[in-house]
Amino acid sequence: MTTTIDAPSRIQARWKPRDVWCALAGVVSLVLTVWAASTVALPVNSDLGLVAVLPYPFWVGLLVLNVAFVVALRGDAAGPASRPVMLWLVVVLVLVLFGTASFVTDVPRGEVAFRHLGIADALTRTEGVNPDIDAYFNWPGFFALLATVLKATGLDPVTVALWAPVINMGLWLAALSVLTGYLTRDARRRWLVLWIFCLGNWQDQDYLSPQAFGFFLYLVVIALVLGPLAARTPRFLGFGRADLVEWWRGRSPAEHRPGHRVIALAVTLLLITVICASHQLTPFLLLITVTALTLSGRVWPSRLPLIIGVVLALWLVYPASAYLAGNPPLAEGGLLAAIDANVVDRVSGTAGHVLVVQIRVLLTLVLWALATAGAVRDWRRGRLDIRVVLLAITPLLLFPVQLYGGEMLIRVSLFALPFIALQACSALLPADDSTRPSARAAGGLVLTCLLLAGMTVTGRFGNAQYDVFTDNEIAAVAAAQRLAPPGSMMISASTPTPWRSEAYLEHRYRTIDFMCKSDLSTPTCGPLVYENARDNAAGAVVLLTRSSEASLVVRGVSNEGNFDELEAWLTAQEGVELVFSNVDARVYRVTP
Amino acid sequence: MITAINRPTAVLGVAAVVLSLVTLIGLPTPLQAVAAIAVLILLPGQALARLTPVTDFALSALLVLALGLAALTAVSTAMFYLAVWSWQACVVAMGVITILACVARARQEAVS
Repeated sequence: MTTTIDAPSRIQARWKPRDVWCALAGVVSLVLTVWAASTVALPVNSDLGLVAVLPYPFWVGLLVLNVAFVVALRGDAAGPASRPVMLWLVVVLVLVLFGTASFVTDVPRGEVAFRHLGIADALTRTEGVNPDIDAYFNWPGFFALLATVLKATGLDPVTVALWAPVINMGLWLAALSVLTGYLTRDARRRWLVLWIFCLGNWQDQDYLSPQAFGFFLYLVVIALVLGPLAARTPRFLGFGRADLVEWWRGRSPAEHRPGHRVIALAVTLLLITVICASHQLTPFLLLITVTALTLSGRVWPSRLPLIIGVVLALWLVYPASAYLAGNPPLAEGGLLAAIDANVVDRVSGTAGHVLVVQIRVLLTLVLWALATAGAVRDWRRGRLDIRVVLLAITPLLLFPVQLYGGEMLIRVSLFALPFIALQACSALLPADDSTRPSARAAGGLVLTCLLLAGMTVTGRFGNAQYDVFTDNEIAAVAAAQRLAPPGSMMISASTPTPWRSEAYLEHRYRTIDFMCKSDLSTPTCGPLVYENARDNAAGAVVLLTRSSEASLVVRGVSNEGNFDELEAWLTAQEGVELVFSNVDARVYRVTP
Repeated sequence: MITAINRPTAVLGVAAVVLSLVTLIGLPTPLQAVAAIAVLILLPGQALARLTPVTDFALSALLVLALGLAALTAVSTAMFYLAVWSWQACVVAMGVITILACVARARQEAVS
């Protein structure tokens, strides 16, 4: 009898009208944004990227979604809306922000995902690892995984690459939700950190890549370090030697069963090994963050940084030795060089492109400012969590060490983002964890989320003019790969070319902007490209696509007139023959 | 001894054997994808995660994914380095890992 009376009341408690409305708002938002994205015509012809061509229902959908989330987060005195509703809204946000391009086109965005498919394909063809090929074959873990999954499942590689951002975000958020459980018990804060993490994620590192896989494993290791491997510290006495020794000896494990800690350590060791085998940068970021946490007394196995260091060193001196012999890891670095490569060199190009880059920088600064305000607020209340601060700041230490092709700032800001988002929550939510945000505070939160969402869509899809490919370009690449004999050189205008997904090892792939580096004018660059093409024993195929040319123009490397002149000069040379063309691409064969 | 084995452990072991065979024989594309993901990632991940004494559901679910993906990466990479890779060999290896983890779990259950 009791159960029959209790059952409906439980259902009522679970599904309040507010929850139903919020869930429905999520559905409406998803329908609006998917429909709006599917109406976008390709190619995107604005240097502002997708933001300039997304119709207004997309923005209405984004507005509805953020309002629904804040209403659900505000909830009532008992806490936020029920877990399924909150989860559903996060799923919708992931689909809206990270699946947008997949609703616009069936072709994966960016050329790197195609290259990664090609490396996995090359591994399956050679059935072995030759570290002399290039850097990827010195860290083949992710590609081995990808090759096995693609062959065993029979899934279409391009479809996997298309939806990889959504899958990777799902993995990251799963790890982040567990991780934040060890840092805060406040349900509102835990949901908001997932939301802010999505809204601040302009870095665009969630495509089919080893770094996305490495970042997932990194978050899992940090979750283990903050959970089963954590240590409790006594009150800090001071920086005197005796005080420090006493403080260090006073630590105790958060997990009291030694067997449990050993198993957690074994799992961590497996994950560290896989991270070291899969990506160059992630193990270094893991090493410095775990070292910082250990020095703060918050990690029980105090030799964990040493273990990470040994595994990393072993990987570098044996499987990755071929690459390191020609590329010393500390050969390029320094703060000024890093600022030049990561910031100054990127703020160039057309007015729209510069605006997009500035918005990315501004978004990062806004989040860091919110996190700083949150940290100050927590510090004043005496509840600043040093673990969150260390996890947010330590990735930045790697910034001046290596230029990483001008991408180091992007990478370190991604690794800091989960903890920046967590610290920012302290500025966005009431001081008392159990307090429901006021209507005014909720309004402010909606505005903040909308601002971040707008900036993320702008920053994330800001290169759509050259990283969203048309079917014509894909057809041209297929034709070029079909027409290029084994051993021939394939030449494209610049890197945004959806090639190398097949025959990765059969050709030498070069780009005109790489060959001509500082000067793309016809008198200098034309002969250089032509001689390179003719000198190759098996000849060459020159592939000129709309997106690769747009990339040069948008980034300010060349202009349309220059490039047309270069192409006209090239076609007038002996042995150059047009073998394929459509609206968005031309393919020329160059006989040796 | 057999009665001491929990049903989930037995189901996991049997599922690993059956799905490994089915994946090797081949199925229509969507079913092949489901079976292969289960036998390569989810079942080994679940079997390995059950060896850990984690009681928190969220961490346990995360470990299923992380351990499944990490184990498959380790196995595939090792096979490539040893020049013995084939996706079928990976399926067999992951099936064996799942069964061994189930045996280890059964021994834990028998002792406790």
